Amino acid sequence: MLDWGIIVHYFPFLLQGTVLTLKISVIALFFGFLFGLLAALLKLSPNLLLRQAGAFYVWIIRSTPLLVQLFLIYFGLPQVGIDLGPFMSGVLALAINTGAYNAETIRGGIISVPTGQMEAARSLGMGPTLAMRRIILPQAFRMAIPALGNNFVILIKDTSLVSTITLVELTLTAQRLIGSTYKPFEMYLMAAFLYAILTTTTSLLLGRLENRIAVERR
Amino acid sequence: MKTLVLAGMLVLSMLVTALSASAESLKTIKAEGELSFALTGQYPPFNFVDEQNQVTGFDVEIGKEIARRIGVKGVPVTTAWDGIIGGLLANKYDLICGSMAITPQRLETLAFSTPYYRSGAQIFSHVDSDIGSVDDLKGKKVGVTLGTTYEEWVRNNIADADVRTYKGVPDMVLETANGRISAFVTDKIVGALAIKEKGAPLKLVGDLLYEERMGIAFNQGNPELKAAIDDALSAMQDDGTYLAISMKWLGIDVR
Repeated sequence: MLDWGIIVHYFPFLLQGTVLTLKISVIALFFGFLFGLLAALLKLSPNLLLRQAGAFYVWIIRSTPLLVQLFLIYFGLPQVGIDLGPFMSGVLALAINTGAYNAETIRGGIISVPTGQMEAARSLGMGPTLAMRRIILPQAFRMAIPALGNNFVILIKDTSLVSTITLVELTLTAQRLIGSTYKPFEMYLMAAFLYAILTTTTSLLLGRLENRIAVERR
Repeated sequence: MKTLVLAGMLVLSMLVTALSASAESLKTIKAEGELSFALTGQYPPFNFVDEQNQVTGFDVEIGKEIARRIGVKGVPVTTAWDGIIGGLLANKYDLICGSMAITPQRLETLAFSTPYYRSGAQIFSHVDSDIGSVDDLKGKKVGVTLGTTYEEWVRNNIADADVRTYKGVPDMVLETANGRISAFVTDKIVGALAIKEKGAPLKLVGDLLYEERMGIAFNQGNPELKAAIDDALSAMQDDGTYLAISMKWLGIDVR
């Protein structure tokens, strides 16, 4: 039923597409993490204005579809004079989007650290920033890693949406090749397989990180 | 902390190398040495992705030839048809050189070169279907590519047609073969080639619905760019380059 000749011939091209998917994922993951951390700290800030800024970011992103956000950045922004290339638009949309979800995950981690930890750190003479960095955040991330991993895996799969803004990543590579081969089953199977490799590897790496942290805990 | 800073620097360097500029006027195109032109890559033999994963076809060779004659490198960009005008207006590429028909409606927002080929709209159905004319399509599922002149024509001319929109012709060929739609409307050459080269189980229904002239689109207010493209087109028609490209991909002279 499957045309193995097609699979053997075209697999290397799909691998090329996977390289771009991986590149987009890594950059968006990095900035998405930073955005998430920043927004989580904003939402926990004693300053009302900062708190509301953080809350607004999380609300507006989580209440609109990623595809619409992507189109706003790619097609919409040039109208007001901000012209980002397809790569920048794609990475930015993904980072902003996943950042909002990371924010809630990280915030959840931070508030799950008992308040006594902060009080103890402060009583030892640490300032609030130092106490947050040295005492609270390390414990918060330990809590947040499984849920953050979930966000990372979703992000990798969401990169398929940037196929709509001319980025020839894995999904668009498959789509374009279907145009000349008329073999959707083989092409999308290969794409699904490669996405599964990417997400499974990410999950395994995060699992190892979790184990390492658990060892430290003993 | 150190590793985080290092990772950040790595990511930033990747971003800088990936930054791409866009161009609009002839001057900036020449300065950048690159002429980017958009097409779907889902429209064989005019533009498609070949066995080596390269974008190729009639439109691609015409676009590259124009670029060569302007003295720059031609770079094809594949994008969905329904977003192709939006991308041009947002200056994501310099031209649309992807079999776009010149219509009064499009001329309101875009500028076109002189026509670079002519063809026509044709209905295709499954070889075994009993559809024999336009009238048989009343109330049937008819496929069109979203945002094409074919879509508009079917909506305006086939009573009660259940119009199904797709991203490209290959999708509609597969859907017709599977029996999910009764017929689709596209360019006659495109459909005929799917039958001839790919053995698609299709037949032509009736005569041409209407004739179209295709042009190369760009943003308005660029008379220099228009002159450069028109000059290149007429020069390649005079010296036989156009005929060679046309014969190579289509087997006929589509001028």
